[in-house]
Amino acid sequence: MSEPIMIGMARMHAEFGERRDFLPPFVARLIRRGAKVILEHGYGSGMGFTEEDYRSIAPDVQFASHEEVYKQDYVLVLRCPTEGELRQLKPDATLISMLHLPTRPQRVELLRSLGVEGISLDSLKDDNGRRLVENLKSVAWNGLEVGFQVLRRTYPAPGMEGKERDPIHATVLGVGAVGVHAVQASSRYGDLQLWQFMAKRGIPGVQVTAVDYDVVNNEKTMHEILSRTDILVDATQRPDSSKVVIPNEWIGWMPEHAVLVDLSVDPYNFDIDPPEVKGIEGIPQGNLDQYVFAPNDPAYDRLPAQVSRKNRRHAVSCYSWPGIHPKECMELYGNQLRPMLRMLIEKGGTKNIKPKGYYFERAIARAMLSRWKGSESSEFVKTEKRPEKRNEE
Amino acid sequence: MNPPKTIGFPRMRQEPGEKRVFLPEFIQTIASLGVKVYVEEGYGSRSGYTFADYKRAHPNIYMCSREQAFQKDVVVILRSPKTDEFQLVKRSSTLISMLHYPTRPQRIERLKNLGINSISLDSIADDNSLRMVENMKAVAWNGLEAAFDWLERDWAGLVRPNKKPINVLVLGTGMVGKHAIEAATKLGNVERNNDHIASNGPGAVALSIGRNIASNPATMKSLMAQADILVDATQRRDASKPVVPNHWIGWLPKHAVVVDLAVDPYTLDADPPVVRGIEGIPQGSLNQYVFSANDSKWDQLVPEAIPSKHRRTTVTCYSWPGVHPEACMTHYAQQLEPFMEVLFEKGYDGLSPEGTYFERALYRATLKAWLDEEAVITTPIVNTSGTD
Repeated sequence: MSEPIMIGMARMHAEFGERRDFLPPFVARLIRRGAKVILEHGYGSGMGFTEEDYRSIAPDVQFASHEEVYKQDYVLVLRCPTEGELRQLKPDATLISMLHLPTRPQRVELLRSLGVEGISLDSLKDDNGRRLVENLKSVAWNGLEVGFQVLRRTYPAPGMEGKERDPIHATVLGVGAVGVHAVQASSRYGDLQLWQFMAKRGIPGVQVTAVDYDVVNNEKTMHEILSRTDILVDATQRPDSSKVVIPNEWIGWMPEHAVLVDLSVDPYNFDIDPPEVKGIEGIPQGNLDQYVFAPNDPAYDRLPAQVSRKNRRHAVSCYSWPGIHPKECMELYGNQLRPMLRMLIEKGGTKNIKPKGYYFERAIARAMLSRWKGSESSEFVKTEKRPEKRNEE
Repeated sequence: MNPPKTIGFPRMRQEPGEKRVFLPEFIQTIASLGVKVYVEEGYGSRSGYTFADYKRAHPNIYMCSREQAFQKDVVVILRSPKTDEFQLVKRSSTLISMLHYPTRPQRIERLKNLGINSISLDSIADDNSLRMVENMKAVAWNGLEAAFDWLERDWAGLVRPNKKPINVLVLGTGMVGKHAIEAATKLGNVERNNDHIASNGPGAVALSIGRNIASNPATMKSLMAQADILVDATQRRDASKPVVPNHWIGWLPKHAVVVDLAVDPYTLDADPPVVRGIEGIPQGSLNQYVFSANDSKWDQLVPEAIPSKHRRTTVTCYSWPGVHPEACMTHYAQQLEPFMEVLFEKGYDGLSPEGTYFERALYRATLKAWLDEEAVITTPIVNTSGTD
């Protein structure tokens, strides 16, 4: 039998609001399956877990420094580490993380130059190209939950809880993987409890208008739709991220109380040619530290000078919507990842993973950096999809 | 019990329009697991397949009679066998089919009495109770495709006379409703939508509403008056009451098409009776799923006691995925493949709720798990859309 694999699990030292780490039951399962696990000191503390919480169900778990964790054979961390952290990995180590290989060629190059193997969580796919580790549902639900919380404050008399009000009008732009969740989340106020509360009291619900990218280009139709929209959701996947979906001028057509919900991840980037802009023109890009922006928020002043921002409404935007509810998010990721890590442990590591092996073995093989050929049309993926760049981690 | 060594594939003997069979690729894959595969004579013939297409010189693939196909260690048939066919399955064999345990208590009794170890495809669920063998996307897309096909007969290129986008009103915001929204905004067919975009067509706008809006007559009157397509993707809590009473149908424009994605039949002799979500529409099948407002079959298919005065063209099918049989069966085969690996490795009796990911999911779908009170808790919510 092969040696147990050593997995270091590092904390994410991104923005202050990033509280996510894998939960104690997940760690316990890895150990029960035969792995040795070393957690970074303070692991889980963002969600209130102590080292004792992990030890109580996984007595063999060890704790070590950030540096020590990065020296292990396998390093598991949800969001991709910084360049400095990547350079701490030892040659032949395997990094398991959201590596976004299709859109991060420099990262691919760096990892290869360091002799590091990678398993990209966002590239773990089944035989049909369907992602096995993803949380697009939370992107939609968390964004809408916050959006409706804001709308509750801005909605004019008789208020969102007024029985005499009209149905709320939500408009979802883009009906793809996130958009379909956004339609469902919108129809339920992004919050099942609030939805039940409203329904029980006979308060009119939400009418959700869904339009795909082609209709969004029709100014006349969009004027009609936007002028009655209370909550506007950008769930588009633009083929060309240098073009806005909703020009800033169109925001002026919307009611003053309207809320803009940004579910995309595109930042403003004028350092590249063509420049990259957000789908809804003139809204700030949020993160886990701040994701609600009132029209007078100073964040508008920090937008690049080229961006029109004259017309403003309350906006909610976050680079990482699933991180709003860290425990739920990590429970889901843990459940999705479990069978693949079990396979990795049972096989004794990446060197024994066969691209034509078991179902989950095949999925791991597709996600390995050493097998990455620079596009999704690798020999292991039957369905070619365009690279995703989606708010999802 | 040892792992099974033989597997039989009987044909489905439902309506002539039912053309679905597992495709040769799947049969070859199963044979490569080291088991002997028996396909009923004529399997796939409605779709133009011969036994040679299945055999492809594989030594483990055989042709047999219907009775013999039912006599193997494992029997796979997508739609449930008819009542009298269950006795063809030998005791302790494993029957894999859409058995719908939650809504078919008599079928469960029969399986128990005959000693059949069944695995219900619609009960295979992951650790989060999500179904793993399902084709709800096809339910929505095939239904919407049929509706847009009908509209296109009058509106070439799906451009309405006033050049505005087509309005689709979707009732129900569950799993099928979500797919219906996507299908509606893409004209029920991706290729058609691409052509439509290329020719600067006005597209379609989908409006999704839930129960609390659908129950308000004043709002519904205004929404239905603007709808070109009305979609029922609801999951009713009380199947004895329609979501759309028949007289509301009169609010729809004359050209409007009603899309029925639910599967509840009219069962007026049940207590309480079961009625269709949209009152007064027929229930279609793979033989006929488009009914114009003046179709003569309307009166035969809708019980006399049900109001049906107001009529619009309706597309309805008990089994929407079967409209595109090959795509459907390719989809199911891909979903089923990992489970077959587990079944032939462990056997029915070897399946454990503590096993691997696919083993746990398969275990949840066994009759023994269904009969076990604990397992009932993890069973997914009943979905009565036309999913098989």
